[in-house]
Amino acid sequence: MTNESKPKLAARREFLAKLARTATCAGAVVGAAAALGVMQNVAAKSESKSTGGSFPTKDYDWTKHQWAFGVDATKCIGCLRCVEACKTENNVPRNAHQFRTWVERYVYLEGEDKPRIDSQQDPVNIEASGSEKEYRFANRYKDAKVEKAFFVPKLCNHCNHPTCNQVCPVGACYKTEDGVVLIDHDYCIGCRYCVQACPYGARFFNEEHGVTEKCTWCYHRITKGLQPACVEACPVGARVFGDRRDKQSPISLFIRNNRVQVLKPETGNGPNVFYVGIDKEVV
Amino acid sequence: MPKHIVRLISLIVVLVVVAAIAKSYLTVDSFYRFGHYRADSVPEIAAQIPVYQTARYCLDCHTPRVAQWSASSHKSVTCEVCHGAAKGHPQNGKLPIPKDAVKLCTLCHEAMPGRPATQPQIQVAQHNPYTSSGQQCTACHNPHSPKIVAAPTKVAGNASAGRQRAAACASCHGAEGISPNDTWPSLAGQNAAYLARILSAYKSGDQKDVAMTPLAQALSNADIQNLAAYYAGLSCKAAPSGTTVGDAAAGRVLSRNCAGCHGETGVGNNPAWPNIAGQKPGYLVNVLKAFRAGLRKDPMMAGVARGLSDKDIANLAAFYVGQSCQSTK
Repeated sequence: MTNESKPKLAARREFLAKLARTATCAGAVVGAAAALGVMQNVAAKSESKSTGGSFPTKDYDWTKHQWAFGVDATKCIGCLRCVEACKTENNVPRNAHQFRTWVERYVYLEGEDKPRIDSQQDPVNIEASGSEKEYRFANRYKDAKVEKAFFVPKLCNHCNHPTCNQVCPVGACYKTEDGVVLIDHDYCIGCRYCVQACPYGARFFNEEHGVTEKCTWCYHRITKGLQPACVEACPVGARVFGDRRDKQSPISLFIRNNRVQVLKPETGNGPNVFYVGIDKEVV
Repeated sequence: MPKHIVRLISLIVVLVVVAAIAKSYLTVDSFYRFGHYRADSVPEIAAQIPVYQTARYCLDCHTPRVAQWSASSHKSVTCEVCHGAAKGHPQNGKLPIPKDAVKLCTLCHEAMPGRPATQPQIQVAQHNPYTSSGQQCTACHNPHSPKIVAAPTKVAGNASAGRQRAAACASCHGAEGISPNDTWPSLAGQNAAYLARILSAYKSGDQKDVAMTPLAQALSNADIQNLAAYYAGLSCKAAPSGTTVGDAAAGRVLSRNCAGCHGETGVGNNPAWPNIAGQKPGYLVNVLKAFRAGLRKDPMMAGVARGLSDKDIANLAAFYVGQSCQSTK
């Protein structure tokens, strides 16, 4: 180091010290202003929490309901009007691989141990319907020796401990106070962790909107006193929906008057779709 | 404390403050209101407009149809299942009336393994062999009241008592039940159960006609039975009726839609429904038009006649007038 460089170094240090002091002062001023803003924000938040009355709408208070769903597989005729209604009601893409609700067919042929399983999205069934936009079960076992067969409607189970919620990295997925698992499509970043996490395969990724979708039990209908579209459309009463807080609601009676079971109880998810008339092969 | 430690600590404090401030600004107000999510998204989702409107929505304008449907075995099949979601109707136009009834009805009623035994199911090829030639389920079944209910077929009347009472009918329906006029129906050889049912309907007011209503109201229930028995016993043989404007060959094609109830040539197997072979063409035309316009009420015929044009009706009349009224049984 030369002699000339020493004063230069001192000058630089002095300059940096000044700069730091100025920056600190400026930062403090900005910080104080921001903190003030934050406090106002917080105040506003706690205010909106205390007022308001019923949530989420003025006619509907979610603390007064606890929704649940029932499926009576012994009644299902596999007409797929529920699937059609769901696609229409929720603007689900009209194709053969994205469904918020679907119906599976279990067929046990004579001499076979395991059931043959297909759903409306099976190519044979799509061929029978004539289009990916329409759904019907092909009569493919008409001439087979069928020992036993039944249809099973499926949908999101709106679990008590939803694994899909746990994995969401952005808080886009949540469970409402009235027991419905919903997705905030504004916050969803389309990472698809939840699609992987759901043990029931109830979720799918909507490429068009870049978000994950699933059954909402038609939250926009049930909060208006209507039934979910699939329940409304079912012509045989295989789908039951209602409020468990109301002891006389269809679902309360359904659970009370039947021996019900849930799918994959071992996962600990605590599903809220209750089934009647299914075999152990249905998972 | 060494200077560099102080600097480090103050730097961390500054970063934490900046991060906290940034988070407060970037997180929307409603986040964490109830949990780790944006509470505002709940009312947003709840605010979506329902697409399926339920049958109550249809009731106000389609009252008679809804009344018929809600009393039928199809009452669990809501309007929108067949007609599509009602959102935007009627502002944005009509809802579709399904054209391919075979395709629609078989969604639920095709016999298929897995369907519960309580569900009414058919083998299409046996139940409706005319499917390939385009005959729809709606030819026989009214989708709003699909069950085909045959009226009671027992008539226990006295024909000779009926003969005396029939004097009052002769001026229009002919002395031997063969109408002298193209407009009034011949009654000779008609099914007794049908005659009794229609006379009772005139008497009760279920069916109305300027001439028939007062006449039928004057009849007792026994009179109706006697008249029905009398006319049913007469021979329907009559001279061929006058010229018709329709095309009988075209009528034969259309008549497949009628064959389920009225028989292939207009002589049916079920006495609850009228024989129409050899019937007066003017009468057939009037009746079909009355069914079409809803002036004469019958759930089945309303559905059948709705799709017929004036030309179709003339063709059908031409076909049936040319058929022999003698039973082929």
